Parts: sequence; C-alpha cells; structure tokens
Amino acid sequence: MSVNEGIRQRVFTVVSNVMGSPLDSINEGSSPDNIMGWDSLKQLNLVLALEEEFGLFFNDQQIAEMLNVELILLTLDEALQAK
Amino acid sequence: MNTYSQIQEVLNTDRTIIDGLPKLNLVILRNITLEPIEPYLRYFAYEIGLNAEVRFGTYDNVYQEAVEENSSLIPSLTDAVLLFTRLETLSWGLAKGFNGLSLTQIQEEKQRLAQYFHDILVGIRAKTHAMILWHGFEMPAYPSLGIWDSQIASGQVAVIHDLNQLLKDSLAQFSNTYFVDLNLIQSRLGLSHYYDARYWYLAHSPYARESLSEIATEDFKFLRALKGKNKKCLVLDCDNVLWGGVVGEEGLAGIKLGKTYPGSIYYEFQQTILNLYHRGVILALCSKNNPEDVWDVFQKHPDMLLREEHIATAQINWQDKAANLRQIASDLNIGLDSIVFADDSEFEIDLIRKELPEVTTLHLPSEKAFAFSDELISPGWFDTLTITEEDKIRGQAYKAEATRKLMYSKATDLESYYRSLELVAEIRLADAFIIPRIAQLTQKTNQFNLTTRRYSEAEIQAFATGESYDVLSLKLGDRFGDLGIVGACILEYRNGKALIDTFLFSCRALGRKAEEVLLNCCLYVAKTRGCTAAVGFYYPTRKNAQVEGFYPSQGFENPLDIENQGKSYQYNLEKFRKQTPEFYKNIVFDISLNMGPK
Repeated sequence: MSVNEGIRQRVFTVVSNVMGSPLDSINEGSSPDNIMGWDSLKQLNLVLALEEEFGLFFNDQQIAEMLNVELILLTLDEALQAK
Repeated sequence: MNTYSQIQEVLNTDRTIIDGLPKLNLVILRNITLEPIEPYLRYFAYEIGLNAEVRFGTYDNVYQEAVEENSSLIPSLTDAVLLFTRLETLSWGLAKGFNGLSLTQIQEEKQRLAQYFHDILVGIRAKTHAMILWHGFEMPAYPSLGIWDSQIASGQVAVIHDLNQLLKDSLAQFSNTYFVDLNLIQSRLGLSHYYDARYWYLAHSPYARESLSEIATEDFKFLRALKGKNKKCLVLDCDNVLWGGVVGEEGLAGIKLGKTYPGSIYYEFQQTILNLYHRGVILALCSKNNPEDVWDVFQKHPDMLLREEHIATAQINWQDKAANLRQIASDLNIGLDSIVFADDSEFEIDLIRKELPEVTTLHLPSEKAFAFSDELISPGWFDTLTITEEDKIRGQAYKAEATRKLMYSKATDLESYYRSLELVAEIRLADAFIIPRIAQLTQKTNQFNLTTRRYSEAEIQAFATGESYDVLSLKLGDRFGDLGIVGACILEYRNGKALIDTFLFSCRALGRKAEEVLLNCCLYVAKTRGCTAAVGFYYPTRKNAQVEGFYPSQGFENPLDIENQGKSYQYNLEKFRKQTPEFYKNIVFDISLNMGPK
C-alpha cells in the first residue's frame, strides 16, 4: 500500500514550503539529514501544515514517528485510510 | 485565507521583496514553545508592508532575559516585545494543583507573581521603550473545584481573574504597555480549537494552529495601530448591505429593515456600524442608486439607526465605483489605503481590488447577511490603541467640514470665507492630557507630515519632559465645531539651533493656514529659547509629496541634501518676526513667555 501520486506531490509541496527548500529538491528520501533547517521546531510547523492540508489529525504517537518524508507518507496513508 | 503551508510559500517566494520592506522588530519572551506562530507574524507584517524580524527568547527564560542587564535579546530599537507566560509553567499550583493550596498559599502565589510582573516590566523598560504586549492568563474551562468553584470568592476562576487584574495593574504603571486578552480568542474559537493537547505534551506547545493564527491576528491589531496602518473610513454600499432588498425597486416600505426577521439582520448590522462611528470611524456611502431614494430611507424609514448626520460624504450615482471612491478619498482628504469598502456585489469588489488595490475590500454576500457584523469587526481594521475625545467627535468634524466646503464654494473670495469661519487656534506645550493625542497624530498622519516619525506615548512624554525638547500642539475650532488637536511639532535644541524633528498636520484641518500659525509659534518659541536658527527637514515618503515645498514657502533657505533621506532647510531667527494670519478670530498662545533657553 502506498499513497497515490497526487498526495505524494502535495506532501512534497508542503515540505518544500515549510522548510523553504525548492520543490524539486524534495523526494521520498528527504529528511532532517539532508534538508537544511529541518529541526524539531520546523517539524512541528510541518505536522501542523500537513494536518491542515489533508484535513485530519495525527495522534501523538504518529506525530512522534513522522521523522522523514518516507515515514510521513506511510503515516499519512494510515491516517487517510482510517479517516 | 491562505493555508499555513501557502503562507510559508508566499514568504519563501517573495523573500527578496520582503527583505526590501521597512523592518518590524519583534521580540518574543515565553515559557512555552511558540515558534510555529512565526510564519503568521511575518505574513501579517507583509500584508501591511513590513518585514517582520522575530526574535525568540530561550524557552522559559522570561525573567532572566527581561531583567538581566547584559541580555542582547531586546535591542532598544525593538518595535514590540510580546510576552507569553503560561500559568501551567509559571505556577503549577494555581493552574493544576489548585485544590491542594491553602488560602495563604494562594495569596503568596499571587504576591509572588505580582512581583514577577513588575520586575519584568522594569527590566524591559530599562532596555527599550518598545510596545509591550503581555498575553494574559486563560480561564480554565473546567475549574478544579467543579461547579463549586463559581460559588466561592476564592475559586480558581476568581483567582485567575485576580491575577489578570494584577497584571493589568502592573502594566498600567508603564506606558506603551498593553494587555492581550487570550480569553477572547478562546471564546471565539472554542476550547477544542484553541488548545492542542498533543503538542502540549510533545513539545510544550499549547496552542492549536487556528489559535496561533488568531493570536497573531490579535497582536497585529496592536501593531497595525502602532505603525499607523489602521483604517479610518468605512465606505458602504446601501442596497443589501444597510438594508435587505433594492430600494429603487421595492420602495421605502418594501426594504427589509426592522426589529423582526429578516430586517433584524440589517438593523443589528447598522448598530455595529454606528458603534464604529462612535469610536471615530468616518462613514461614507458609495451606491448605485437615485440619490433621493437613498436619502428617503435615511430620513423617513422608522428603523434606520444610521442617520444622514452620521455620513460624512456620499457618492450616490451610476458611475463606476473606483472613480467614486477616489472622489470620497479626496472629499475627506484621506488616503485610499485608509479606506475599507463594503459591498454585496462581487463585481464591484473585484473592480476595486483591480483598480484600487490600496483599498481594503469587504465582500458581504447577501446569503450570509447574518454574519456581516462579525466579518466587519473581526479583522480589527479600525482598532486604535486609545480612543480619545477627538475620536468621539470625528464624525461630526468631517460632517462640519463638508458644510464648510459648501460655504467655500459659495464664498466670493478666500479671505471673506476664512473670516466667516470664525477660526480659533490654541497653541500650547504638550501636557498629560494632550500627549496621547500627539502620539496618535504621529502614528496616523501620512500626508502633511514632514518627517513621518512614529512615536509612542512614552516617547512623546520623554520629549515633553526632556531637557532639550519642546512639544507643541495646535487645537483648532470654528463656528461649526471643535476640530480638536490637529497639529503638532517637536523641536530639538542642539548647539544653539532648533531642529524641527516633527511637524505634522491632520489633513482635515488644512486649508486654513493653521500650519503657518503653528510654524510661526514654533519659530517664536525657538527664538525665545535663545536659538539663532531653526532647521526644518523634509523626508519624502510615498504620501507626503504635498509638503515638499513647505519650508521654502515659509522663508526657510539653504536647502541641503541629506544622503538617501531628504532635505534640510535653515531659517535665520535673527530676522524672525511674529506674524499670524489676520483672518483668525482668535489665536491663543498658551505658553509662558518668560521661559529661558533650553
């Protein structure tokens, strides 16, 4: 299972906006290790932006796990299915 | 409204534009995680043409950073210090362990916190005169003692209420300090949209995203007013805005307006508008109608709360509304960017957005008439830091000005027109009663303003009592009414010269040579203080071109360029003689004549 291409692109856009990195530099491998400025505070902004974008709420455990784009896509898939 | 993600996109995309805007320096002292509010603050600043730089104090270091002398967090040029002191972190007992506290312990906690407020304010004031916005304590939605809490004098809600009062008392001892009531925001959003418990536990970040947006919105009501960016005038369409239906078609008796549904929607909206009028907002009409139909409603409809006397000027015709809005701005002598334009027609709103982007538009779709009042009030466009006596009579003043203009058009020559006005000017040094109004004038005056320096009440206070400054004001009246304090001047004495730091006039008072009266008095004061010359400055802005030639027209000479800023002009006080226009009925010069040099 994985999210469709439209959703992937929306996630990439949100990550790009929040981190201030060009959209074409964001992919499934993006993480705090390779994106400038992705720290724990930006992480908070990112989750807030994703929740608004997709109209859902992650629980605290999911938030704690969403540490890179790959994990965000997995968690989002799970949350969208539960919706 | 853009989403949180889109806001950050705008901030990224427009970075070079934003970097070129004037700075808005904000410092946030907090005992919670609040970083996610930053995009909202920067975005709202961008909306009013400012580049916000937000500096966060370290987490839960409010006291140290405020009080410590060597802290570099709060430079003196800061525009505003925002304080967020959440009770959970400040006093676990009062916030969460309330039932375990004795009355004595509660009392001790209150005293400890009152001292804490005071120390912090003293500490900040030692560093800067910046605006201070202290966010008060929220009421618990479920007090520790349950329903019993409301029955006793020392319940948790009562105690937190006392704490807020102690904070307000502390703030009142300093100027340019304001209490931001978070309970208002909580009641607007509702508890479940206000807090976000997940982030409180994960990151000590208590507020939901919607609250962060709403808190930033609230803070910007203060910051807009501080920067003179608040709105002055509400221009209203008539049909389906002030009443339901089209008066030209349905007639006076057919429109919806009254105490019962559906007219009650419009009746209440008119009350909201009238409340704005009574705090100093200028009202104008811009409507495609036959003028007699509209005035018929104003004069004859029994349930009209708005009357003709409340309307400063009106453009009721079939021409395009962009031209009409320009005419209204010119009639009232205000900038287009001081105007909010409300209309039910999407076409008209779009037209104004395209033709006059400076005007703020408010689309009021008739199917949402029940929400008109909230739509108009919630952005806080018209909010001011103080409401002065001048504000309360402003509507009358603008109305009187319209009558004057009518007389002017009938007068055969200017001199006889001036005489017929029976003008009275009163010039005096700033005192405690005038200082708030002078500060307000420096914040709001854009067009007749030679240097456009914005000052807080505290700064004006400092000038007025300072060793090397004089602050003068001019109050104007005529047979049609009192215009209040409309002009101000700040003189700085340096090396035997009087530097005119600020010289400004409210636009509605122009055309009576009152600015010449004030300047003449300033020069007189400067000479009495022992100065040999006065120096006037003109710093061009987008809006003050009309005063470019002011100093030369008043006998100032020797223009000098000040690099990247403007020009200076000298006035030789040796040749000064006191002269005022003859057509004034009376000029009161309420300044002690035996004052010496400063």
